[in-house]
Amino acid sequence: MNNITSFYLSRVIGNRVFYGESVFGKLVDLAVDVNFEKPKVVAALIRENGEERFYDFSFFEIKKEKGQYRISCAEKKPIYIDVHRTMRLVKHILDKQIVDINGRKVVRVNDVRLAVLSTGTYAVAVDIGIEGLLRRLGLAKPIKKFFKNFGKNITSKFILWDYVQPITSAKSDLKISMSYNKLYTLHPSDLADIIEDLDKKTQAAVFASLDDEKAADVLEELETKAQINVLESLPVEKAADVLEKMPFDEAADILDDINKERADKILNEMDVRASREIKELMQYPEHTVGSIMVRDFISFKTIFTVEDTIKELRRIKPDADVIYYLYVTDEMGKLVGVVSLRDLVIAEPDTLLKDIMKQDVIFVRDTDDVNSLIGIISKYSLLAVPVIDAEKRLIGVVIINDIVYELLKRNRRMA
Amino acid sequence: MMQRNSGFLKKMFLLFSVIGPGLITGIADDDATGIATYASVGASYGYKMLWGLFLITISLIVVQEMAARMGAVTGKGLSALIRENFGVKMTLFAMVTLLITNLAITIADFAGAAASLEILSIPKYISVPFVALLVWMVTLRGSYKKAERFFLVISLVMISYIIAAFLVKPDWGEVFKNTFIPTFSFDRDFVLMFIAMVGTTITPWMQFYHQASVVDKGIDIEHYEYEKMDVVIGSLVSNILAFFIIVTTAATLNKAGISIEMAEDAAIALKPLAGDYASTLFAVGLFGASLIAAHIVPLSTAYAITEAFGFENGLDKKFKEAPVFYGIILFFIIIGSGVIFLPSSLFIKLIIISQEVTGILTPIILIYMIKLTTNKDVMGEYTNSGAFNIVAWITVGFIIFLTIILTVSPFLS
Repeated sequence: MNNITSFYLSRVIGNRVFYGESVFGKLVDLAVDVNFEKPKVVAALIRENGEERFYDFSFFEIKKEKGQYRISCAEKKPIYIDVHRTMRLVKHILDKQIVDINGRKVVRVNDVRLAVLSTGTYAVAVDIGIEGLLRRLGLAKPIKKFFKNFGKNITSKFILWDYVQPITSAKSDLKISMSYNKLYTLHPSDLADIIEDLDKKTQAAVFASLDDEKAADVLEELETKAQINVLESLPVEKAADVLEKMPFDEAADILDDINKERADKILNEMDVRASREIKELMQYPEHTVGSIMVRDFISFKTIFTVEDTIKELRRIKPDADVIYYLYVTDEMGKLVGVVSLRDLVIAEPDTLLKDIMKQDVIFVRDTDDVNSLIGIISKYSLLAVPVIDAEKRLIGVVIINDIVYELLKRNRRMA
Repeated sequence: MMQRNSGFLKKMFLLFSVIGPGLITGIADDDATGIATYASVGASYGYKMLWGLFLITISLIVVQEMAARMGAVTGKGLSALIRENFGVKMTLFAMVTLLITNLAITIADFAGAAASLEILSIPKYISVPFVALLVWMVTLRGSYKKAERFFLVISLVMISYIIAAFLVKPDWGEVFKNTFIPTFSFDRDFVLMFIAMVGTTITPWMQFYHQASVVDKGIDIEHYEYEKMDVVIGSLVSNILAFFIIVTTAATLNKAGISIEMAEDAAIALKPLAGDYASTLFAVGLFGASLIAAHIVPLSTAYAITEAFGFENGLDKKFKEAPVFYGIILFFIIIGSGVIFLPSSLFIKLIIISQEVTGILTPIILIYMIKLTTNKDVMGEYTNSGAFNIVAWITVGFIIFLTIILTVSPFLS
């Protein structure tokens, strides 16, 4: 008999459990406590005369005997399992989908690797490779031997537990991983890719667990189908909160795609300013400049001095993508010129904007087609273009990011 | 009044937006293997088995409804649920058998497409590569939505079977009598033919495909009432078409005492008996059904296997991102179109072997389905109701009984 330092879950599940020299049941599952740094096995679920019961794992010992694992139990001590801090390796992990945080994708678990330390037994990694599948089928050794003849190896593929994010399906009794805290380390676009790979119900559950800021970032990156799914399954208040955190043009885009009644409910729940802006954007037909423009642009009056302008900029702290071009309007709100950030910085503080502004501004109409806008942007290599209405009033700005997004969306549709 | 009217319109709109998965599954069910079986039922036994379609339709509705409900409730495919609930070994077994039966069905459908075009005087050396390429292009270009529209348009050609049935002027009195009054014979061949008819109507790929397309279409349990109608409509359409195929061959081939083996035999045999129109219509229907099935069956196999073993999948992925997924589809298309050039005796043997394998797989899949749909951990509040469960078990028991007879019978004779 040998003491072991590590073993695979699949090699012990279903094995007989000895109490002294007699068998008292079969091992059905192992429960781990996730409050430890590494999940520690705290209980073994044993089937005994047709009934399943949890026993304290600290009285269990696993040894290797003639190539097989022998599980013995020194004392049968029933234990209570707290569903809020424990997880079952067979029921909740084995054969289920998890998120591989490092590889940034959804994978299926073929096996779980456990390590035996002096302080207890811990789940250390999950096996997602072909070898794990073969082991489950009892074919790992012969097939590996076979391939060795050809100098080939079946590689095993592990994910360390630190990079494993279990996910619950909607009907599962798994409570603890609802926080999905490991997902927060991912970039929103990676997280969006992962969410797209999940089934609808799980998509909604994972998305609902994110805070509003993160949720808004992720929602922007999701493809339309997943966007519709999560927005239609979230509670209205949460959906409204998330959309408020998004750029209005994108929020309008998404709301355009979902069921109209639902969109109205969400809009009513949002704060008045946001919902008014979004509604106005939604009135523009698709593929017009108006539908992708941003309305919270910054503009300055002709009579501002350079100093006033810089002070004002310090106060509003605009986003990086709208600060390069400062649009200048007259008393009526009509677009009359543009000042670049460079011009502003190098001018004397008391110069008036109208004296340094460039008067021949490149602009588009809100009703123009997006295609003509794309032509203009590439022709003049601009980072942003102002949008005016029929009366030449400045009503919005289109930023290059939004155009790229629009193009991507169109490509995806055509593919 | 206006209110009620708009409520009705809204309901119709919802129905039309949900409808699709069930209808396409139902139509693809009448593929080359299905048509071959129905045509020989009519050719060998005339109208005598028409009443059996009643039972089959009910069974089909019960089985497909479970698949659709699982898809709507869990948002997961059938093979994923099997893997998660029954472990690796059972999953592997199910997937290997699914692979074999589906491969045989794909081969039969490529053959069906080739044979039907040959009747329309297009040689198979042109038609087979063309069909293979078409299927592959639709796969590469496709999203589910587009594929669905494409299939629905193609499936319109299936109406040709109904027209063909009227063209051959059957004795409608006879037809009605046999539809409502069962006749049964304990003749061994009669029993086997009856079982083959059940077996070709309820095949495992249909449950996988139907559930997958419900998931892919994103049908929710809130809209499930409409999906249920889709299931019923699909099953009805499937069996109504089968009904007319049987009527056509019963009124012509059976009267003339001609029995057939393949679907195209029926079309060829129809020519002298019922004229060019009926023969051509039959061939056109065969082509449409074969084309749909030749696309759907490889696709649903690829989804099932990759989902079960955790490989990347989905038509929105590139070949490089999901090599196993596309690899399976490509493998099916290549084998499917390659085998057509085999001699036909070998080919018929292949089809018979595949029916045996299907016979083993069908009961297993159906038992899994009942176990899954009664499991609260999987279905929550949408488990089978008590009464439904009884009907489901009777249906499944009936099919298991029949498939066991079909599977062991070659060893007995």
